[in-house]
Amino acid sequence: MDDLPESSSKGTKRRRIDDSAADAATSSSLQDDLTFSDTLVALQIMRAQFPHIDKVSIQPFILKSQLYSSVKDRTQVDRELESLRRDKVLRLFKLNTGQDDHAIMFLDDYVKQIDQVFKRMEGKKEVEFEVFGWFKNYVLDSKLETGIEHEELCSLLSLGGKVKDSHISILINAGVIIRQLIDPNMYWFAIPNIGTILKGLAQGRNELISLLSRRRYKEMMLATLEKKRLRMSPLDMRFHLRDLIGSGHLRTDHTPSGLIIRVSKD
Amino acid sequence: MHTWKQIRDREFGNLRPHRFSNRIKSRRLSDLQLSNHKDFLSPHKGALNSLQVDLTEGRYLLSAAADASVAVFDVQRPTEYEAGGLISKHRCLFLVDKQHQLAHKYAVSSAVWYPVDTGLFITGSFDHHINVWDTNTTQVVVNFKMPGKVYRTAMSPLATSHMLVAAATEDVQVRLCDVASGAFAHTLSGHRDGVMSVEWSTSNQSRTQLGRRPSVLKRSTMNKESTFKSSSAGQTTSAKLRVAQKKLPNGNGSRQVVVGRVPAKGPIKQRLHPGMLSTQDRATAHYGAVTGLKVTDDGMYLLSSGSDSRLRLWDIESGCDTLVNFETVRLQTNKPIQLATSQDSTRVFVPCMRTVKAFDMWSGSTSATFRGHYECVNSCWFNEQDQELYTGGSDRQILVWSPPRLISDEMEEGIAEDQDSWSN
Repeated sequence: MDDLPESSSKGTKRRRIDDSAADAATSSSLQDDLTFSDTLVALQIMRAQFPHIDKVSIQPFILKSQLYSSVKDRTQVDRELESLRRDKVLRLFKLNTGQDDHAIMFLDDYVKQIDQVFKRMEGKKEVEFEVFGWFKNYVLDSKLETGIEHEELCSLLSLGGKVKDSHISILINAGVIIRQLIDPNMYWFAIPNIGTILKGLAQGRNELISLLSRRRYKEMMLATLEKKRLRMSPLDMRFHLRDLIGSGHLRTDHTPSGLIIRVSKD
Repeated sequence: MHTWKQIRDREFGNLRPHRFSNRIKSRRLSDLQLSNHKDFLSPHKGALNSLQVDLTEGRYLLSAAADASVAVFDVQRPTEYEAGGLISKHRCLFLVDKQHQLAHKYAVSSAVWYPVDTGLFITGSFDHHINVWDTNTTQVVVNFKMPGKVYRTAMSPLATSHMLVAAATEDVQVRLCDVASGAFAHTLSGHRDGVMSVEWSTSNQSRTQLGRRPSVLKRSTMNKESTFKSSSAGQTTSAKLRVAQKKLPNGNGSRQVVVGRVPAKGPIKQRLHPGMLSTQDRATAHYGAVTGLKVTDDGMYLLSSGSDSRLRLWDIESGCDTLVNFETVRLQTNKPIQLATSQDSTRVFVPCMRTVKAFDMWSGSTSATFRGHYECVNSCWFNEQDQELYTGGSDRQILVWSPPRLISDEMEEGIAEDQDSWSN
């Protein structure tokens, strides 16, 4: 059901695009599918439109601000996200870029991602790797929030076997758990191998905002803007546009000749 | 035309008076803009920190500023008219500033009226003092010394058996000061850092004859609610107190919400929220400080604004987050802000940097944006009687936002001063 609108738009646009180097996913115009009706539909389509990054292998994730720009009613988005999270369809992660950034990943993608990381770590040396299995089976299943306390983590892991400090440090080295700055007893759940992408995210946001701010009237038509490529970010323009529109830094307005993107003043 | 028809319906009994007044009020509420007929001449030389109109008459506006000055304005009677009687200017009735004996030495962070009458007002300041002033003589009657800077003071609007001032200070404990005796009555502890805002509940719950009501207190690092007992003459009443927490100086804090459960009596009409996030999950509510709190007038919901630029609506009875998403982009992070709600709980007025945004309470959509201040807005107060919004900002101004008054009506009727109409 959700593949249909995407493939139809891809089909009509692809015939017009000559540039073969352009990604197949970027061939559909953002203007056509900027908004969706349902949160799950929006999540699945945005997951399919996740840009392919060469050097880093990462499963698709969606930022919460992208969802806000895609579905009209934000309260509905929050409530549906909450129920999907409780049904263990997806997981939320707090990111360290900016104030209220959250990343949403489908649970299957997340499990695939951490499996990749665990496999890579296992190849290096033979040190207590059963903690990975414990983590997947016990912790991910029962703890659905973005953060976890040290005692609770140990108690959940010990359902699999005896927990030592080296187990926790393996998890931290793998990147699935990050110590919180404010409270040494609390950890955030995190997506491993996401560091370079987050850096690219922050730089791409700055680049896009400065690109628009440098213009005389601080605005640009969406059709021209989405064809530009960002130099500092491995993520594509559409990803950044959805994110910045959802977080309120950019505004869209309807004009007779299409959508226009403006930098919003406070 | 529409209004005349509604008046006639009310006369004939087709429209209930209550509904008629609600319709007029909500139409006026949606027409708010920078007032074209009212102006406050602010005598303050520092940023406005707090505004409050007295709860008994709705007539006197108390404003507190960062230059240690406190002023009172008459909202209904102007001191002079300009532009041929079209614009009413309100000067302050009196100003208490640093020259005054026993006045505050540093910024006054909050000034509230005594809820029973306008004879007293209470000010809290960064000079670690809370002063209780007599309005008529502008003298300090009672003085409390706090261990740290006072961020907010609050008195319960419903209390008949106690005269307690709740003080939120830099210190981790919230102190309840008794005006009648001049001593500290209670100390509420549980926070790990300074408390930035405090609010009393607007619905006095669980009145019991004797004994204590059990309350489950969950440990939290952000938002704490505790029940305390104040026994008086054989009857035990308990009021719920909500406090919030300031963020730690380094790093960003992740805060959790605590739920104090007090079984309530009687049927309560509740809105059902699908997918309500329960704070029992110890999920973080605000990443960072809680900068402002407001309890709705029916006492059922609590609004909290945080330095993570989110505004959240909590259901007080169940302690759950209703997950209404308010489209706030940026909120002030270093100073406490004062939120305002309309009485029928449909609109929330939030100071967002230089603008004040009005949100619909239940859907979270922005209904209006009020741009007028030159610098950050710190506090706002909604006057229910006249449907006017007063906002104070760091630009030292108090702005009035009201439904527009048609100039043509005024011109025909003449000057709105107090004149005898039978002697020309």
